[in-house]
Amino acid sequence: MTLKIGIDVGGTFTDFIVTRDGAEPVISKTLSTPADPSIAVVEGLTDIAASQTPAQTLEQFAPTIDTIVHGTTVATNAVLTRTGAKSGLITTRGVRDALEMRRGIREEQYNNRYTNVVPLVPRRLRAGVAGRLDRAGREVEALSLTDVRSAIDIFRKEGVEAVSICFMNAFANPAHERAAAELVKKELPDAYLTVSTDLLPSIRFYERVSTTALNSYVGPKLNRYLDQLVGRLKSVGFRGVLLIMQSNGGVVTPQIAREQAALTLLSGPAGGPGAGLHYAGAHGQDKAITVDMGGTSFEASVAVGTPMLVTEGEIDRLKTALPMLDIHTIGAGGGSIGWIDEGGLLRMGPASAGADPGPACYGKGGELPTTTDANVVLGYLDPGYFAGGRMKLDPDAARRAIGTHIAKPMGFTVEDAAAGMYRVVCNNMAQGVREVTIKRGFDPREFPMIAAGGAGPIHSCLICAELEIPLQIVPRESSVLCAFGMLLSDLKHDFVRTFVARLENMSWARLGVLVDEMAAEGARLLEEEGVPKARRGGIVKLDCRYIKQYHEVSFTVPEDAIKRRDEQAIAQAFHAEHERLFGYALAEEGTPVEIINVRVQAIGATDRPRPRTEPWGGEDAAHALKGRRSMYIPEKKAFEPVPVYDGHALRHGNRITGPAMIEEVTTAVFVSAAYDLAVDALGSFAVYRKGREDLVRMRAEEAVA
Amino acid sequence: MNIDPILLSVYARTFKSITDEMSISMEKTTRSPILCEAKDYVTGLYDAEGRMLEQTENLPILAFSLAPVCKYIIKYFGDDIHPGDVIFHNDVFSLGNQNNDVAVYVPVFHDGKLVAWTAVKGHQADIGGAVRGGYNPNAVEVWQEGLRIPPVKIYDKGKLRKDVWDLIFANIRLDIVQHDMKAEIGACKVGERRMLELIKKYGMESFEAHKLALFEATRKMMEAEIEKIPNGVYSGEGSVYYDGRHEGSKFKIRVTITVEDRHIKFDYTATDPRTDGFVNGTFTSSASATILTLLQMVNPDIPHNEGMVEPVEIVIPEGTILNAGYPKATTFGNHLCPPNADAIQRALAPVMPDRVTAGWNNLLCSLTTGTDPEKNEPYVDIGFMGLKGGSGAMQGTDGYDHIGMIDASGGVLDQDYEMFEQQTPHRLLRHEYITDSAGPGQWRGGLGVETIFEIGSEDTQVVTFGDGDFEPAFGLFGGGDGTLNFIRLKFPDGREVTPKNKDLLVGVPKGTIYHQQAGGGGGYGDPKQRDRALVREEVRNGVVSDKAAREKYGLKD
Repeated sequence: MTLKIGIDVGGTFTDFIVTRDGAEPVISKTLSTPADPSIAVVEGLTDIAASQTPAQTLEQFAPTIDTIVHGTTVATNAVLTRTGAKSGLITTRGVRDALEMRRGIREEQYNNRYTNVVPLVPRRLRAGVAGRLDRAGREVEALSLTDVRSAIDIFRKEGVEAVSICFMNAFANPAHERAAAELVKKELPDAYLTVSTDLLPSIRFYERVSTTALNSYVGPKLNRYLDQLVGRLKSVGFRGVLLIMQSNGGVVTPQIAREQAALTLLSGPAGGPGAGLHYAGAHGQDKAITVDMGGTSFEASVAVGTPMLVTEGEIDRLKTALPMLDIHTIGAGGGSIGWIDEGGLLRMGPASAGADPGPACYGKGGELPTTTDANVVLGYLDPGYFAGGRMKLDPDAARRAIGTHIAKPMGFTVEDAAAGMYRVVCNNMAQGVREVTIKRGFDPREFPMIAAGGAGPIHSCLICAELEIPLQIVPRESSVLCAFGMLLSDLKHDFVRTFVARLENMSWARLGVLVDEMAAEGARLLEEEGVPKARRGGIVKLDCRYIKQYHEVSFTVPEDAIKRRDEQAIAQAFHAEHERLFGYALAEEGTPVEIINVRVQAIGATDRPRPRTEPWGGEDAAHALKGRRSMYIPEKKAFEPVPVYDGHALRHGNRITGPAMIEEVTTAVFVSAAYDLAVDALGSFAVYRKGREDLVRMRAEEAVA
Repeated sequence: MNIDPILLSVYARTFKSITDEMSISMEKTTRSPILCEAKDYVTGLYDAEGRMLEQTENLPILAFSLAPVCKYIIKYFGDDIHPGDVIFHNDVFSLGNQNNDVAVYVPVFHDGKLVAWTAVKGHQADIGGAVRGGYNPNAVEVWQEGLRIPPVKIYDKGKLRKDVWDLIFANIRLDIVQHDMKAEIGACKVGERRMLELIKKYGMESFEAHKLALFEATRKMMEAEIEKIPNGVYSGEGSVYYDGRHEGSKFKIRVTITVEDRHIKFDYTATDPRTDGFVNGTFTSSASATILTLLQMVNPDIPHNEGMVEPVEIVIPEGTILNAGYPKATTFGNHLCPPNADAIQRALAPVMPDRVTAGWNNLLCSLTTGTDPEKNEPYVDIGFMGLKGGSGAMQGTDGYDHIGMIDASGGVLDQDYEMFEQQTPHRLLRHEYITDSAGPGQWRGGLGVETIFEIGSEDTQVVTFGDGDFEPAFGLFGGGDGTLNFIRLKFPDGREVTPKNKDLLVGVPKGTIYHQQAGGGGGYGDPKQRDRALVREEVRNGVVSDKAAREKYGLKD
């Protein structure tokens, strides 16, 4: 029986999910240890070992683990808190400021107090060197190794830990970058080195230099962390496979993560969208909107067949062009603070009370009213059963905060003020979801919504009502969705080459060579990772645009179209994707199509935990009824006694009529009056608009029984 | 009807979501790069009387470009407005802002009654006139600049007026404009659909009452900001150099600002008369410049609706350079924003020292066109990366480096260097911050940039337009000025040519070195008061020279 553990390190909690084929996954959480996150990993594993029957020590338990998949925020936090490596940049003479200029953008146009981002490499450590390639990669001026050496001298004197190399037009010819890299390796053997064309050999200088600098900036820190993690796991006897979650929704071995540290910038949330698809699949759907509401932020993503990728991602206003999942974040969460603006309007967030001091009801000194405080007043959170009773909430503190800051100034009762806060924060999240979907050319009404995060399922009915989404699914693993998604992830390696050519008269031979080159590189990595040939796969993508457009559309090339040299098939795939995204295509006008980049993703299938088959438990849910509690019903704008069910006791097939509350240790699901609930074959709570049972698939053969 | 304060928040957020969605629709469906890339368009919602409910403008200069026309259209058509009507407009003599900015207005009907309007205005790639693209430095009258479209129904009760459509597009060079105008109509329809959903959900009575409450709330926010300014009369001026016709010509924009409790009036009566060339503004483009400058001085959170502008009065007499009047040429109008903003900052500096900025770098831009010899294909390049200097410093905050003119405020991006070399035959030699370009101060101005590239085509055409090469961005309260703009060409034969700031050069040979500086912004406060550690850091980073550190900042060690 394969034992796999997904571990997702978050800001407050480190989430664990333990799966054994066919068995119910076990979820646990432990407090994160930000100074050295691997401590929490070991502590959590120790707890899991102790909870085995019979109880085990970690040393007994660790050798039985086959695979650990790990999501880490080490790289992300290094950027957000600007605690990454002291870095130097060697670049082409004349363009050393591109990294800091960020193409001259100011994101807030009316805010003259809005300042530029502090660059990851200060100007004095950005060295321009002589040497120039033209747009086709032809040498115009030889590389000056003397200049490179001067840069190295400065770096040595300044104690630089990490070096980036990025030259103009290197995507077309890496020779200068390689020559400079040789010298750096020789002279600064201990420095962490990133060469732009090794990491991302694609056109667009600013994107490439930014991504390269990000990689160097987070590399040393991630390496130290992986040393600690691997060391600790080894010392307790873990001999299985350790995989690291990457931003693209795939996993890699620690070795690759060490070299390409920027691949982990979105490691934490990247498990979510894939997990969302898994749960939607139980209802015959191959698409999903996955939302995850945490303490400070609300993340939304769209998946159709596979999670959506972007190659123009950003972290803290810094560009990264490595493929990453398209996850949209807005400032709305349990800790979002309610306030009244100068015009007298109630607003929620984006300021957050975070985990410390946290919402007023945490009793840790927070005095400002938050979403969580509103949830307590509205009866959605049981003050005695928060985190399964491990944390007591103070409802009086919640009432006080809302009373002082919202109710009194607006002339409301505390209850009305709390209902207002709830409504405003749900509306903010709904508009956020709407924007992510329509930007991608999708209509949110056609998607099921997967609601995750501890606080997500309390709000999801109102969000769905606003967006007219008829079906939402709350997985049992809702509070650790990303950790579970990691266990479903395949090994994925992305490669890119810039190949600027008109589709109608490009060199098929050259295209073939590039694809083969990248496929071979992918095969080599999968070989190293021990993936047998039968489990390897891959996709080829092209980034194309109509001539004179500025941005490319990335689309999957139909299988074998390149081998068959089928220009028509490629053009059609491009027109179709362009039409879907932008509502038009220029197929009939005969506008030439230009290729900019070729991409290959090499995929190594991993063993996925086999889903358990929940035994049919009948429709009656009465056995799980815990009692009744007065709660606010948004549809009636009034409080009413609402049945409260123990989520852990609910079984496949159980049906519950809304309004109702389902409580689990780590999640609460509020089914408002316009919705009903059924427990599906994976044990998820399918919450559907009254009358839309047709959307819920309960597995026919069992439904008969 | 009672106002539900929570529902009020929901309305506000939903209006914003609707104009954002219209904006996304434009981004996705337009095809001209100036629309889908530079996002030179604005989307808005209006009530039945033409009062602004919300808008999303992607460039600040569009902040007030859509609003005045809606009321004009309502008056123009009177009771002849029907479901299914779609109206076009661009005419600068009936409150349009710029010839190339063509708007679509769609009336929204609920239960047979006009309840709202949705509108979109975007910069079209061509609008007829003497010169492709509409930028004609030789124009003296509007007809040399472009086609005038006073309010015209392009759809009448749902039926396309094909004859009118054909008449308009027979006068416009590029087919892409037809497509992009359809995109504007489409975005208006997206807005119409969502407005109707909203009104159906909450009812007309609720919509009407809450709309007024929202104006009221916003007005209060704006009034609260104005109340912070002491009552009084304040004046300031800004300068415009060269009208494109008379060398050495100079014009003054003069504003008199009267603050009386919760009301603010901007009066431009003392401004110099119009020019006889194309360096003239329209009322709407000039008022938009005023509004955007004011918006940068107040809480950036204020919603953009009718309440925002209610306490603001703007007087720009016809016949001045800011409101040239019929039938003058006005293509340069948007670029009168920087000196207009200068005048306002200078006027209010003594009484709002914590809100104004020192002077921003004024734009000087170039456009190169020619034929790429390797590809044998024509190219056009707008030199965005070269034109963007620094913003003015303010109390407590340094200016923003390489942000560009105040009318875009960082909304227009540089070309990527490698894409620039793919799309033109030029080779970029330098694009870096300029040492000592920032006006020194306790808070320094934003840095300017230097751009040098080698021109890669024979017989290249270089067009320049802009200003900022005679007068630098000004410093405030002891802060120093920024540096000047320039564009210089060094021909392969060694000849150096400095084009005028509104000029057209032809026959520029391959191998010519194009050299441009966009200056820094003005500094704020005594540079000797600047944090010493910051000065030292900037010396180490080479953006302040040793000499300037000693002489300007008074650094001893």
